[in-house]
Amino acid sequence: MPEKKPTTVKPTGHWSRVTGHGSQLNLAVQIGTLRLKNPVTVASGTFGHAEKYYDLEEVKKLGALVPKTVTLHSREGNPPPRILETPSGMLNAIGIENPGVDGFIEKKLPALRRIGIPLFISILGHTDEEFETIVKKFTKEGGADAFELNLSCPNLKQKILVAQDPQATRRVVAKVKAIARVPVIAKLAPNVTDIGEIAQAAVDAGADAISLINTFSAMAIDVRTRRSVLGNCTGGLSGPAIRPMAVHMIWEVAQKIKIPIIGMGGIMTAQDALEFLIAGATMVAVGTANFINPRAPLEVLEGIVEYMRKNKMNDIKDLIGSLKI
Amino acid sequence: MHKIQNKFPIAANERLCPRFYRLAVDAKSILKSIRPGQFLHIRVTDGLEPFFRRPFSVYRAKKFVEILYEPIGLGTRLLAEKKPGEFLDILGPLGNHFTAPPKGTKQVWMVAGGIGLAPFLFLSDELKHKGYELILFYGGRSKGHVFPMKEFKNNGVKTWIATDDGSIGVKGWVSELFRTLDPNPTTTMVYTCGPHAMLASVQSFVKARGLRCEASCEEVMACALGACLGCSIPTVNGYKTVCYDGPVFDIAEVVFS
Repeated sequence: MPEKKPTTVKPTGHWSRVTGHGSQLNLAVQIGTLRLKNPVTVASGTFGHAEKYYDLEEVKKLGALVPKTVTLHSREGNPPPRILETPSGMLNAIGIENPGVDGFIEKKLPALRRIGIPLFISILGHTDEEFETIVKKFTKEGGADAFELNLSCPNLKQKILVAQDPQATRRVVAKVKAIARVPVIAKLAPNVTDIGEIAQAAVDAGADAISLINTFSAMAIDVRTRRSVLGNCTGGLSGPAIRPMAVHMIWEVAQKIKIPIIGMGGIMTAQDALEFLIAGATMVAVGTANFINPRAPLEVLEGIVEYMRKNKMNDIKDLIGSLKI
Repeated sequence: MHKIQNKFPIAANERLCPRFYRLAVDAKSILKSIRPGQFLHIRVTDGLEPFFRRPFSVYRAKKFVEILYEPIGLGTRLLAEKKPGEFLDILGPLGNHFTAPPKGTKQVWMVAGGIGLAPFLFLSDELKHKGYELILFYGGRSKGHVFPMKEFKNNGVKTWIATDDGSIGVKGWVSELFRTLDPNPTTTMVYTCGPHAMLASVQSFVKARGLRCEASCEEVMACALGACLGCSIPTVNGYKTVCYDGPVFDIAEVVFS
């Protein structure tokens, strides 16, 4: 297992330009009014303590960061066990443990800001008003370059997710859009009959982009004790096990809507990420892979560049939605 | 993207007794920075099964960085097949560490159950020649889980052994070895590591006698970096992550269910 020599990705004054072999690649993408230097980010809840563990010069190469979801009030999360490895995947029921919006702004945001790349702040309100209050607090304090509305966490014991109801999706997105001064992204659930209908509701309400997909509702049982393995009984499945389903949903939605899609669901490698881009995602988010290989987001970025060079593509837009049928 | 992700070559991977293996990696870049109680998060396969990395307490950081493990699940069985010269993708050192015995400590107890023995050779490396009386109470399932522990003895550690089946040492749990003892709480420091049930019994023992005690806890981990919040355990101060807030906790703080 020899050390793999990393591909060099160097910005040359323009964030979006990558040099090498005499050619220039344009990797820049647009989410609403926000321009990102490249299409690679991380999925919410999979990236933490950057200042302690990461080489920030490397983190800075990503297009954006998405921190763990913030709620209005602090949440202690679900009882353990909270995670379980499954075939090619991970089952989790963390339960949005977070310090609440005030705690996040005070304790976590400053270090994230210092990294210096755009932050998509993932937020979750238990009511429409909570969504609005969180947005107002960030608007006052600054620090959010976009909001990703978590309408789809399966681990909070709700009867129905916002993202399982087109009307609720439309209502929440519209309310946040009315007050947010930065782009608004709706993160949707895969646990629906018609993902196109929900995506359309978010578009109608003015969403600037859609994140697809959150985890699949799932569970595992310990046959010895005949109890559910997770403390929360059910959880959400992520990792390569769900990737083909995620790719399919992105392809399906990309044909129906015109706004950008941030694609995620089991991306481990650049090859995986390329599937999402070709299916129609404008950006890709690396999630569970961060737990296995913390360098995965960078390797994905490097691999996309390599692929574009090999295929003589100058602009990431030539790749997005380039599926041949 | 990581400051602490490295690929290190395996220097040795050998069986110490029927159940336990010792794996050493040549990891000079991290060797000196590791403290007793910290752990490594090891990727045992380039494939997807098993999916998570595996956390291991550091057994020793002298010439090589060593771990002690028991091939029991898929991850540790794959580890047992690794040959010297192969490279391992390792995150670490991670987590906090045991704190030094408080001033006035004369006797240091190390209470270990099964593979929970792992952090204590490193701790005894650190505490030897400092005037402490070092005592290891070790409980294993059977004699297959016991090895000569020469390295402990070389550090001047007195070793007491119990096995569940009595095949070697005292028959019963490790607590059989010390339950009738009444150590002086102002001069004794206890460190412990092992299964939850054992830690819970150590907790009630030290509480009844007013002893100071630090416990190294174990949980299934995904990231081991404090990001996923998957390895949280209940404490009197709310949930805390074993990987980032721990793995070492004041035993009075932990709630064993």
